[in-house]
Amino acid sequence: MKHTSYFVISLLLLMLVPMTSFSQEEDNTKQQDTLVFKQKYGLRLGVDIYRPIRSFIDDDYTGFEINGDYRLTKNIYLAGELGTEQRSDVTDYLDVTAKGSYFKAGVDYNFYQNWLDMENMIYGGFRVGVSSFSQTLNSYTVYNTDPYYDDPFTSDVSQEFKGLSAIWAEIIFGMKVEVINNIYVGANVQLKGRITETKPENFANLYIPGFNKVFDSGRFGIGFGYNVSYLIPIYKKDKKVAVEQ
Amino acid sequence: MKRHIFYKLLLLTIIIAGTSSCERDDICAEATQTTPHLVIEFYDINDPDVLKEVRQLSVRGFDRDNNPLDDITVSSPLNSITLPLYFLNEGENVVSRFSIEKDTDFRLDTDPATESNVDVIEVSYTPQFEYVSRACGYKSIFTNLSITVVQDGNNWILSNEVIFTTIENENEAHILLRH
Repeated sequence: MKHTSYFVISLLLLMLVPMTSFSQEEDNTKQQDTLVFKQKYGLRLGVDIYRPIRSFIDDDYTGFEINGDYRLTKNIYLAGELGTEQRSDVTDYLDVTAKGSYFKAGVDYNFYQNWLDMENMIYGGFRVGVSSFSQTLNSYTVYNTDPYYDDPFTSDVSQEFKGLSAIWAEIIFGMKVEVINNIYVGANVQLKGRITETKPENFANLYIPGFNKVFDSGRFGIGFGYNVSYLIPIYKKDKKVAVEQ
Repeated sequence: MKRHIFYKLLLLTIIIAGTSSCERDDICAEATQTTPHLVIEFYDINDPDVLKEVRQLSVRGFDRDNNPLDDITVSSPLNSITLPLYFLNEGENVVSRFSIEKDTDFRLDTDPATESNVDVIEVSYTPQFEYVSRACGYKSIFTNLSITVVQDGNNWILSNEVIFTTIENENEAHILLRH
């Protein structure tokens, strides 16, 4: 309700802008009206809601992620994610389970010019991610295009490749909306590029926790997240909004 | 009021994220070199560097119980054949037998005076599995390749030569047979 009235007020102010600017040319006395709003600064902690849901409906996946950001300035936030994932990839020729945890840290920049006292975000940012994981090759079928003999050979001897790691960089785009006081919901997409990885002997990393699916075609990957977070306000700062100039 | 724009953008982000997660086809491209065949070329015994076609050539493999299987497709010119190799466990030596028949039409016709000539070769090799890609998984290459022509008193294959002891691709012949 409060926001609706702000909206109406600001709409009226907006309508006055052409008039005032017109009038400004006639008399040069500048008015310096400003509205002051308290902006909350603090630590926002949240969980990814997609991963637990997927863990519940997808037998081949288990995952959990907590995320947080800390507001440094009006538009800049320190941000990070910490998570764990287990995922099985089953194709006609490979059955692989990747398991491990990851940590991402970086900065978000809020591009959105909030109205009045609102504190929503449309942001872009970057992260550096690190993952430590293992892969288990549960079974594989040797690829053979010639069906002359019986079925191609399948190995069911499970092999575990331990101590794998990867480092990547990502660009993140997303938004966070305050739905109730201090509670935010958000969604984001991430474009990732692998920097280094330890590859298992005579095998490859098919899924890297945090990085997600590794494509045959190259070093790039993609990811997304939906989260719910709570802002722990630590202090407030004034935000001055110039009404007219 | 203002929030509706946010919800729309949120929905848009969800849609973008949803569609971008669609996986590209994980199909092993045909051009990828996967498990190779054994390539054999036939050369002239009198002129060892010249390819020589085998008249009315037909080739068969055998199953593990030594029962003959279907004809292996051969294509012109009949101076080269590619043979599928049977394998089981990695590192476990396998011997595969192939019957290589010359003048096949002489067996098929009704004239008892003419006969085809069947020679049997025994090829020995060790499969070794190599990772290719997510889409193709593993292929097998073959090491320790060797060949024996079974002596039947009337062999048309007069000599053999192993060029590559490891079969990694089908670019060049691994074994030469002279006749």
